[in-house]
Amino acid sequence: MTHRISRRNVLAGGAALLSMSALGPAFAQEARLRVLWWGSQARADRTNKVNQLFQEQNAGVAINGEFLGWSDYWPRLATQVAGRNAPDIIQMDYRYIVEYARRGALAPLDDYLGSVLKVEDFDQVQIKGGSVEGKLYGISLGANSAAMMVNAAAFEEAGIELPTPSTTWEEMARMGAEITKAGKRKGFYGLSDGSAVEPLLENWLRQRGKALFTADGKIAYDANDAAEWFAMWQKMREDKACVPPDIQALDQYNVETSPLSLGKAAASFAHSNQFVAYQGINKDKLALRSHPLIDKEAKGGHYRKPSMFFSVSAQTKDPELGAKYVNFFVKDPKAADILGVERGVPESAAVREQLASTLDELGRAMLDYVSGLGALAGDLPPPPPSGAGEAEFALRNVAEQVGFGQLDAKQGGETLVNEVSQILARG
Amino acid sequence: MAAVQDTAVAVGTGASSRPAAQSRLARIWASHGAGYMFLLPWLIGFFGLTLGPAIASLYLSFTNFDLIRAPEWIGTANYARIATADPKFAAAVKVTFLYVVLSVPFKLAFALLVAILLDRGVRGLTVYRAIFYLPSLLGGSVAIAVLWRQLFAGDGLINSLLAQFGIEGPSWISHPDYSIWTLVVLSVWQFGSPMIIFLAGLRQVPTDMYEAASLDGASKFRQFYKITLPLLTPVIFFNAVVQTIDAFKAFTPAFIISGGTGGPINSTLFYTLYLYQEAFGNFRMGYASALAWILVLIIGLFTAFSFLTSRYWVHYDD
Repeated sequence: MTHRISRRNVLAGGAALLSMSALGPAFAQEARLRVLWWGSQARADRTNKVNQLFQEQNAGVAINGEFLGWSDYWPRLATQVAGRNAPDIIQMDYRYIVEYARRGALAPLDDYLGSVLKVEDFDQVQIKGGSVEGKLYGISLGANSAAMMVNAAAFEEAGIELPTPSTTWEEMARMGAEITKAGKRKGFYGLSDGSAVEPLLENWLRQRGKALFTADGKIAYDANDAAEWFAMWQKMREDKACVPPDIQALDQYNVETSPLSLGKAAASFAHSNQFVAYQGINKDKLALRSHPLIDKEAKGGHYRKPSMFFSVSAQTKDPELGAKYVNFFVKDPKAADILGVERGVPESAAVREQLASTLDELGRAMLDYVSGLGALAGDLPPPPPSGAGEAEFALRNVAEQVGFGQLDAKQGGETLVNEVSQILARG
Repeated sequence: MAAVQDTAVAVGTGASSRPAAQSRLARIWASHGAGYMFLLPWLIGFFGLTLGPAIASLYLSFTNFDLIRAPEWIGTANYARIATADPKFAAAVKVTFLYVVLSVPFKLAFALLVAILLDRGVRGLTVYRAIFYLPSLLGGSVAIAVLWRQLFAGDGLINSLLAQFGIEGPSWISHPDYSIWTLVVLSVWQFGSPMIIFLAGLRQVPTDMYEAASLDGASKFRQFYKITLPLLTPVIFFNAVVQTIDAFKAFTPAFIISGGTGGPINSTLFYTLYLYQEAFGNFRMGYASALAWILVLIIGLFTAFSFLTSRYWVHYDD
């Protein structure tokens, strides 16, 4: 059998080839960005909308978004990075950025500053927060601060005024005991037991002029500090100002299981950007308050911290496109409208101004809280050293041992400082 | 066919044995080839997903590996630290041993009790058997662990019941003195699979033995003690070994009930949970691998010990 090629066939074939070659550049133009973040469904909905918007404005770019809960996020990210399959855009936390940057997993963004990344109207301190060893690895997606979530309705029922920015720990303990004593609700206490809450301990230490960690990654408080901290909480437990230890141990330190959300206490300790989530699952009206003071003159316990960053993976094919996406996320007015303050108070002054008029009550409370800290806020501490996550576990473990009476406050202080020092030495 | 010949050459010891070896392989292939082909998916899974990673983890246990940077060979340092300088390892071993020692005997005793009751000729046996087996199907699941949290929490169902009798119970799952017991109860509740095996074992006991015994005036209890139990020892042995290995490997209930912390105060820090924390919480894959191999060793020793002692108490009627 012989093949006879007619002229028509040749023409058709040629046309097909031509049209394929016309498609070629289009295929090449198709760029993919994989974005990975942690957070709730509400955050995912907002993020996906912004991704859609970016795709519409950038023909040929496809964005794949993926999100997980906080505790599943870090194992997933680590395995993907290890498998050379890292997402292009990585949501990063202040706690992990140093480790990832030092291990070469993130792309430095300095070259894109001013050209692609237009973050001139950012708070410079917050930009520095995303720097490791002099290079920029993360763009802050919002500022927040540690905060106290207060059940305003429960305070009112008990006839007690809400705490103010000048409320001391002594006064707070008294309020807590009074709420418990008022007994308006069954099995209800004034405060959560915050002895295991690391940001709360940090705030208290900073008011005393100390910190959790030194800049070179060592422990920055001593056994006496820790013992005093545990003794303060021991007294609150005895006075029933806070919940008993077996109730506190139900707390998995998230929004859903905090004594406040479980209806066991009128106050819990968290971060300001979680206010929306807390109010979302609590029927009672909540208020956002700063942490109590060690005395009336104390200041500088709080600090504004980047709640999270976007980093660009070192493995990405097109870091410039990554930088462009990040810039869009933090600067575009339409994106800002969609995102609101869900990731914290936006860093760009222009975006803040734009949002100020449109925010709902919750968003406004958060914005006012973070921008109104004044002298209560001090300098941003250096990023936590590696091993900080384990140190937080150790605090929780020792605080429970003191809570359940297995150690007294003094022994607790010594044990904690010992364990944390060992953890940090191991790295 | 060429591939088979090559293999035959490699396997054969010399030129003279080549035809014989070739024909033997060909014969094996002809008679069992289809069988091996059916086995292939499992074999691929076994070598690719079980044996391969296991060998890799043995290598990793001698390294420092944080998932991002390449593994760094550190010899036996991981094992040395586990043996000498890891208080959490000691805590985890203690909790796990406690769990094994408490949960396995209670579970087996309960399973045997239910099996004996069901063996007395209850009507609708299959229905009961299915119902009693149900917890074993559900028990390992996350949903049940979450349910357990609700049952044994401060204002959970158990405390509501106790309140009827004027008893104010603590929050069982979050109290270091009781939390391990809630996990033991959860384990005992899943008595289904040993029960089924006991039931089958009970059916094997010849009825004429009981008849002879009752003619001789032996009480029911004596019959159980002198006939049922000895004849059941092989089944008890099997159940004990399987359940012990299972208990050592338990992870999900402690993970869910403690929220992954093993708390309060490490009271539910199962060995596997500690291993998980080291691997995926602190990114110490090398150290976690070493922990895993120590667990293999512990389980291996326990099983070997069971087999060694079995000759003194397990009766095979032959």
